[in-house]
Amino acid sequence: MIGSNTEKLLGTENHRKLRDSRVLLVGAGGIGCELLKNLVLMGFGEIHVVDLDTIDLSNLNRQFLFRQRDIKQSKATTAVKAIEHVSNSKLVAHQANIMDVDNFPLRWFDQFAIIFNALDNLEARRYVNQMTQFLHKPLLESGTAGFDGYIQPIIPGFTECFDCTTKETPKTFPVCTIRSTPSQLIHCIVWAKNFLFPQLFAPSGSTTTEEDLGTNNAEEIKRIQQETNEFHELQEYAKAGDETKISDIIEKIFVHDIEKLLKIEELWKIREKPTPFYNVVVGESLNPNLNVVWSIQEEANAFAHATRKLMRRMVVEKQIEFDKDDTDTMEFVSTAANIRAHVFNLPRKSLFDIKQIAGNIIPAIATTNAVIAGLSALASLRVLNLIKSKSEIKPLELNMAFTAKASNISSNRYLSNPQLAPPNPRCPVCSIIRGVVHIPSSALKTTKLSDLIESMRDKFLYPGDISLLDKSTQRLLADYDFEDLLEKTLAEINIKYGTILSISDERCDEEELRSTLDLYIDNGGDSSNFELPDVEVPLYKALKAENDEEEEEVEENVVQQASTTGEIIVDQEEKSKKRQLDDAWEPATKMPKIDDDSGVILLD
Amino acid sequence: MAAQARMRSARVLVVHLGALGTEITKNLVLSGIGSLCIIDDKVVSTQDLETQFFVGKEEVGIKRLAAAAPRIQDMNPRVNLDFVAEDFRNKPDSYFQQFDLIVATDLDSFEITKINNISRKFSLPLFVAGLNGLSGYIFVDLIQFDATDDKLKSSMPTSVGQVSERRDVLTVLDHYNEEQNKTYEQIVTRNIYVPFEKMVREGTLKGKLTKRQLKRLTNAVPLTLALLYGTEGSKHVTSEILKEKAKKMCVQLGLLPENLQQRYIDQFSEQAGLEFAPVAAILGGAVAQDVINILGKKQSPLNNFVVLDGISLDMHIFEL
Repeated sequence: MIGSNTEKLLGTENHRKLRDSRVLLVGAGGIGCELLKNLVLMGFGEIHVVDLDTIDLSNLNRQFLFRQRDIKQSKATTAVKAIEHVSNSKLVAHQANIMDVDNFPLRWFDQFAIIFNALDNLEARRYVNQMTQFLHKPLLESGTAGFDGYIQPIIPGFTECFDCTTKETPKTFPVCTIRSTPSQLIHCIVWAKNFLFPQLFAPSGSTTTEEDLGTNNAEEIKRIQQETNEFHELQEYAKAGDETKISDIIEKIFVHDIEKLLKIEELWKIREKPTPFYNVVVGESLNPNLNVVWSIQEEANAFAHATRKLMRRMVVEKQIEFDKDDTDTMEFVSTAANIRAHVFNLPRKSLFDIKQIAGNIIPAIATTNAVIAGLSALASLRVLNLIKSKSEIKPLELNMAFTAKASNISSNRYLSNPQLAPPNPRCPVCSIIRGVVHIPSSALKTTKLSDLIESMRDKFLYPGDISLLDKSTQRLLADYDFEDLLEKTLAEINIKYGTILSISDERCDEEELRSTLDLYIDNGGDSSNFELPDVEVPLYKALKAENDEEEEEVEENVVQQASTTGEIIVDQEEKSKKRQLDDAWEPATKMPKIDDDSGVILLD
Repeated sequence: MAAQARMRSARVLVVHLGALGTEITKNLVLSGIGSLCIIDDKVVSTQDLETQFFVGKEEVGIKRLAAAAPRIQDMNPRVNLDFVAEDFRNKPDSYFQQFDLIVATDLDSFEITKINNISRKFSLPLFVAGLNGLSGYIFVDLIQFDATDDKLKSSMPTSVGQVSERRDVLTVLDHYNEEQNKTYEQIVTRNIYVPFEKMVREGTLKGKLTKRQLKRLTNAVPLTLALLYGTEGSKHVTSEILKEKAKKMCVQLGLLPENLQQRYIDQFSEQAGLEFAPVAAILGGAVAQDVINILGKKQSPLNNFVVLDGISLDMHIFEL
């Protein structure tokens, strides 16, 4: 483009590089929409957007590329269409899960110059972080919670990775969990506060539910949509102030809707079925003690009581917003959540406890997303060395950034921008040596596990005493007293493309141990056999005395159970968490702390 | 809630629909502001396609407002929008009186002074923001504003009295949050602001920052102010002229002129007035959030000058 601003800013050569770059954006939600817009305007040559989700009504107040008419459509596809009118880039949308190895094998990630994470959940963040560690690919990580937000460039091998510090990432819940399959009381509270309450007492089209639809089940999506429509009817009752309809409301939400859910058998294959709240007769007795868990009859009485009061107020106020300090709204939400918990056989809590949880649900803020997405896009220029007149940047001179003023950390800094820290030498993710095993699909069926292990011993100098773990499924495949799978083929024990194997030196009397190696199983290789990567696996000094103690403690937390096929399931999650908590190494606590004690929830 | 009611009844004017105007408009329209008026008389250029998303490739050459209006309205049909395709400088002072707040973007220093005189005349809060390539700034003049903040009470209770030259704690009220079993302080702080002209000509950091802070301060601060110092159409300044102005600005601010780096001077002389989308997104987000805060009377507003260095990501708030 002649007279391009970007070209002036970056210089002709850098601008050309930018135009030739292919980048990946993971997530097309709150941050993702903003980031896509920035990347398109900057003029990256090719931008791939991956998001599995579809658009929900509740996204419209901040995900600015989406409109009412786009509800139920794919986020990735819609976002791309919505920015095409100004785009000079090749845009590719993928409605898929980034963790789906069939769609996105490791080598697929390799085509990108940089990867932008704009995700709302820890699992996918960790996964992408891990992929970038395998590929030594720069990653721009970002996140927001209310007014707090951060960006962090990650240069594998040189700077802290996503898992180097324990991040207090807020929990998020997909719509289907909230609307169809709650498994914790918190899901019921979110349902009552962000879905049921606004449906009844806020004007239509302005509900404040904040979730993303997290399901592909067409039947379930249809049900959620239908349910939404039916609530308009309930809202009419609420508006009319017809108190005789209260029992109809109870019947509708705690019996009919549950019966409808029960019909979707798919949902209950692996879950306990809910029990509709049949034959409720509302009484007058109310329990005045807010600190105890009420009986289910008392909950029902109080629910009717609160609904009646809110209906009367609706006549005058026309619309009511939830406020935890508004007794009527709080009682409504608390009782509705508890009755739903009862229906789903979940433990209930006192109104006092629920009030605390409900008050901590943090709404997503559009402007925080805008600022963070701007920072993410801007920071990528330095990571990719596209800044004019800047000499080659050293990774540790790069800056991360997080909100300071908005997070009440500082009154004279809008942002804090510390330089990146080096990798945590004890990080469970990036301190590990990694490589890719290329293996033709035919060899998966012929290679025995023992062949693979022997080759690894030869090539990487592992001793006889090792353990081999399938990290993708948290299965133990082999160790000193578990040899049952050794003579099976890789295909037989379900090792496939995308599987990550982890081999560790398990000797306990040595001063020096071979480092742990993670291997990604990928398609390829010219020969008929597998090819191990050319990586060096160094020795490290075992910290004996401390280790023994730690190991004992860890042992208690490791859940081992024999499964039907003779595999052993190891709860690695628990193990690594424990390690981090007990770790003497102090991570630089640079991020604004999001108070996690009382269960902060971010809804995006 | 009172805050939301104030948002819904607010009438805000955005001057110019450039990169910043676009970002600020997007954020305010999403937030459900009552009504928004945009004044802009330019036509869509190819450069606009690198920084704006309410205009499209097909619309190069037509008025920016005409191109953008349908896309803005489509984002939130409930916001009352008013598009005025005129030069704001041709409007009489009285025109601005109908608004509750003015956000002005892409102005030179004379235009800023002009609009600041108007905002002061009618006691209107004013936000000014501008871009200089990888850098950008925000200037705020709320004249006088009492902000209410809730803060967790620490072992060092907040005391009533002056916190800085322009900020004064008027009252501190403790209130106990029984669910959290914590005590909060409700702090009312009076913010005093100065007009743009006074800030640029007399603003200093002497006595406001520590020696170390002054030494580490990004060159973007004196250079941004040098660009704002009384030149018409600050967009074209040679490196030499800018260097001289920046040196004087360093003296005024209490910075060491020898800390000015040629690399930064060149960057600013080349990039003065250039728009860049990610920088606009950051500043546009910050301006819009502050507008929402002050309309809702929540949280302390910016007081009064913010500079972003888009390379180091330094973004300080100065009382100038």
